[in-house]
Amino acid sequence: MIESLLTAPAATTNTGEPQVILALVLGLLFALGTFLILRRDVVRVVWGVSIISQAANVYLVTMGGLRGSVPIVSHGGGHGTPTDPLVQALVLTAIVIGFGTTAFALVLTLRVYEEHGTIDLSEVSE
Amino acid sequence: MALAHVVVAPLVITLVTAILTLLTRRYGRLQRAISLLGIAGYVLAVAAIAGRVFSIDVLTGASEETATLTYQLSNWPAPFGISLVADALSAFMLVLAAIVSAAALVFSARYVTEYGQRVAYHSLFHFMLTGVTGAFLTGDIFNLFVWFEVMLMPSYVLVVFYGRSEHTRAALQYTVLNLLGSALMLVSIGGLYATTGTLNMADMSRRLTHASQYGIEPAPVLGLSAILLAVFALKAGIVPFQFWVPAAYRAAPAPISAMLAGVTKKVGVYAIVRLVFTVLGGATLADGLELGLSGTSFAAFFGPVLFVMAVGSIFVGGLGAVSRNDLDGVLAYSSIGQVGFIVLAIALAAGADALGTGTDAVRTLALIAVLVYSLNHAIAKSLLFLISGVIQESVGSTRFSALGGLASPRPILAGSFFLGAIALIGIPPLTGFFGKLLVFESAGEALNAGVPLAELALGAALAGAVLTIIYMSRAWNRVFWGSPADPVTHAYRPTVLVAIVAGFSLLVVVLGVGFDPVYRLAETAAHAAADHTGYVEAVAPEVIE
Repeated sequence: MIESLLTAPAATTNTGEPQVILALVLGLLFALGTFLILRRDVVRVVWGVSIISQAANVYLVTMGGLRGSVPIVSHGGGHGTPTDPLVQALVLTAIVIGFGTTAFALVLTLRVYEEHGTIDLSEVSE
Repeated sequence: MALAHVVVAPLVITLVTAILTLLTRRYGRLQRAISLLGIAGYVLAVAAIAGRVFSIDVLTGASEETATLTYQLSNWPAPFGISLVADALSAFMLVLAAIVSAAALVFSARYVTEYGQRVAYHSLFHFMLTGVTGAFLTGDIFNLFVWFEVMLMPSYVLVVFYGRSEHTRAALQYTVLNLLGSALMLVSIGGLYATTGTLNMADMSRRLTHASQYGIEPAPVLGLSAILLAVFALKAGIVPFQFWVPAAYRAAPAPISAMLAGVTKKVGVYAIVRLVFTVLGGATLADGLELGLSGTSFAAFFGPVLFVMAVGSIFVGGLGAVSRNDLDGVLAYSSIGQVGFIVLAIALAAGADALGTGTDAVRTLALIAVLVYSLNHAIAKSLLFLISGVIQESVGSTRFSALGGLASPRPILAGSFFLGAIALIGIPPLTGFFGKLLVFESAGEALNAGVPLAELALGAALAGAVLTIIYMSRAWNRVFWGSPADPVTHAYRPTVLVAIVAGFSLLVVVLGVGFDPVYRLAETAAHAAADHTGYVEAVAPEVIE
């Protein structure tokens, strides 16, 4: 269902439905990430952070608008307008950065476990 | 043509050095030589940029005219490609970064253990410096995010460098907070792109100045830039985002604490100034601000917000520093308080900006105060952190209970600390005096000009100055006076490290006595910071509809 909405020609309205669905999904993702960050378990905190940064990426894609219906490089056809490709380039950069930081955060979690013998934050911070 | 590449030179030099030091990790001495050579090249490149931007006459220190150097990467025209912009503000901050990082790296080459240096220290240091340089030079708001990440990632590793239990704990807190900050920054940048249709700072500034012409709704821009302000405040470590500061500074090796307090905090300060005065300098809300604030310009919103953050930082930092029982802790809290002074001056400048015409002089004065205070804090605080490193190396602890009576066995070290401390307190003829003087003067002028909250700013600055005197003299008493504690009498004498800090401490005196050129550079940089139309003209982004 989402796919059909995404590919629907959204020239009809400005408040296209994909944006509404994505807004709801984003709200849920940010809420989930925040919930996980507030846990005491370090691994959950790291999950929370990576969920929030992925949510930020999805948000970034949404901000480019999803009104286009054809690829930016046209293959013969060329009916309709493409979606703004800039935000997608930004998201690629952000994903790579997010990958690096998540890897580091996981290694750090391992080191925290090795040093403190626990991943419970209330015990770590004593 | 070759001269135009000078803007990108410091970036390329640090990046190449970082990679070379990574490749030569098997050969410790070669690696160290490359690293030191790299920082020398960096200093020269920054000097070349500053020389061209300020057109300095070396003999008299007079700068007649300033240029804004722009460099379009791969020759893509401005709003499409990535621009590097070295205006007077960027050049001033680069000079600050070059001074502190050169001192910190020379110190590290002696201070960090042989093994630590070979593992990754030098390349991490240079990668961090690359990020700092990129953040100062970029003219693109998404690139600012990328450079922030480049700066932060090595700093996560450097905070956890010693890898024991307290370091992993501090690094975890630091990393998680900054990752959250990065996500927020992305959200804000995405929103700004959607509302303004550009990522280039100059283009954004122009579009927001003529918002109706470009069909931009300014109200969401205000909210989104407030998120951006929160992220920058997190990097600058001001209240209410200050809580990561003490743990991270205590955990990091001394030269890295010097870099974090001296340079990366200033990246946050720089970003706030750039955002409020350049990117949003001409933006207005036609219907006026709500939220109980008067005025129509964005600065009328940022002024009071920054003011609250600044006053909070001055008190949290000052009171925290008074109650610490180790030197690193005092210095870490002190840097929260001192950045509070800098942000207070930014708040005054924004307040003067919001009043509109006739207050340009006050705004410029407050921005000069921001820059002079930043320079003084960068040098004095990094000097003090390096001295704390010498004490750690020599005595084995920076806890007050283990210290005392260091003045008679270590007169040179004590003298350097004394210079750093009185520079922080603000005693003439050191740079700190001029920094404090300018903050007070701009608060007084703002009071005359009728900037709201200016009398409170004056009061907060006074209270903060008193707190600075209290905690620095307490630290001096506990560390250098009194009867020598047992660890002190058995301490060894790190002669080279003491010589490095002593040399660095002379800079505080030299810059204070020869303050006139510093003031001129800061004045030029302050004009550049407030001149958003000049910035737009220099970058000259193509007009796209």
